Amino acid sequence: MLLETSHPAIELSGLARRYGREFVLKDINLVVTPSKIVVLKGNNGTGKTTLLKVLSTRLRPSKGSGKVFGCDLVERAHEVRKSVAYLSVSGGSYPSLTAFENLKLAAQLYNLEFTSAELEGKLEGVGLLQARNKLVREFSSGMKKRLGIARVLLSDAELWLLDEPYNALDESGQKLVDELLDTARLDGRTVLMATHDLERVQRFADSVLELCGGTLKRHGVLTQLEDEVVFATQDLPAPLRGEP
Amino acid sequence: MSDLTTLFTITRKDVLQELRSKAVTVATLFFAAVVIVILAFALSEDRDLMTLAAPGVMWVALAFAGVISAAQSYQNELEENAYEQLLLFPIPRASIFLGKLLANWLYMTLLGVVIVPVTALFFNVSLKNLPLLFLVIILGTLGFALIATFYAALTANLRARESLLPVLMFPVVVPVVQRAVFATAEIIGQGDISFILGHLQVLLAFDLVYFVVCTALFHFVTEE
Repeated sequence: MLLETSHPAIELSGLARRYGREFVLKDINLVVTPSKIVVLKGNNGTGKTTLLKVLSTRLRPSKGSGKVFGCDLVERAHEVRKSVAYLSVSGGSYPSLTAFENLKLAAQLYNLEFTSAELEGKLEGVGLLQARNKLVREFSSGMKKRLGIARVLLSDAELWLLDEPYNALDESGQKLVDELLDTARLDGRTVLMATHDLERVQRFADSVLELCGGTLKRHGVLTQLEDEVVFATQDLPAPLRGEP
Repeated sequence: MSDLTTLFTITRKDVLQELRSKAVTVATLFFAAVVIVILAFALSEDRDLMTLAAPGVMWVALAFAGVISAAQSYQNELEENAYEQLLLFPIPRASIFLGKLLANWLYMTLLGVVIVPVTALFFNVSLKNLPLLFLVIILGTLGFALIATFYAALTANLRARESLLPVLMFPVVVPVVQRAVFATAEIIGQGDISFILGHLQVLLAFDLVYFVVCTALFHFVTEE
């Protein structure tokens, strides 16, 4: 059940994050309205993963503030976690547990009731039913990613934060991510996704944001782009609008 | 799902992981055996000294095994970034800490049940008043597991975690180990019940303080 909310899905104001003395994110201002699919692009090391981790509450902002569906990232982190599902690059599963045990654990920790058959259905959906009793330690990177996708699909979160979802996946796995985004669109979920594969996400994205040197430099509507280098706006007003 | 159910879910996960990998079991049993055997050889010439040293040897073996157990429980979490995912579930931080604590405590208690009779055998000590001895193991390992679990979380993301964990935690855990050794020595030796109960009361007090402080502060340990 998705929240009926008048709040923006994401609202960042002057947000910065540093590791040691170095600022990885600087003065990020952003508003994303609910039910939008927003793509985050940028070269390696420009802060895409850090921004997703700050939004997931894993990292605290060093400066500024942020809200997810009206809940402050620091003050109401627990509420934020209820509305966010995060897919990390590595998948985030326990290597010593089987795929089924990992998914069952996730369901329990999300406080969701699923029967074994339903969990198997989720595994079947990501092509892992045959590997249900296999330890994740024996999985390939792509299979770990598929299990991570199953966990996102399992959650009831309104905001999905996907870090390089196409990474390590074969063609059928990439189609799976496409289906994931279709599902998000149909369900009215908000998605913020870091990816380099702009061509692939063209048909899903409502907006593209680019992180460059820790700041949001440019944005645009992907469907209007002829080339990924061309963006609609160079000088952005604050806050940036994460919508067309 | 209640917080208590979440706690048990995390404990069950840790126990299941250990049953699969047996990494902690092998490392701690081997380490405990090495400590007991070497010290038994070193002190074997003097029977009185062996009796005197037995409680200390038991707790040295248990203490180092406890450090290995706590460190390994977070090592499992760090593989594949599972710990990061665990922290993103909408569950109280206290449930994560107490779930992991329960798994470590359970493991240390079981290890204590094995180590105590083995030490008694090697050091030629007769075990008396077993219920009280078991109570000392339970309270002593609880205090130790509380500090070990807390500091293992604190150092989990550090590169030098293996060396930092004992350096940081041993000064804090000294009162618990000291009282546990005294109580064990009293049970093995004179068996004066009033002395034993006195040590147990102090142990219980430390356990309560550590329980409250560590549970309350764990939230800050997980913040980055």
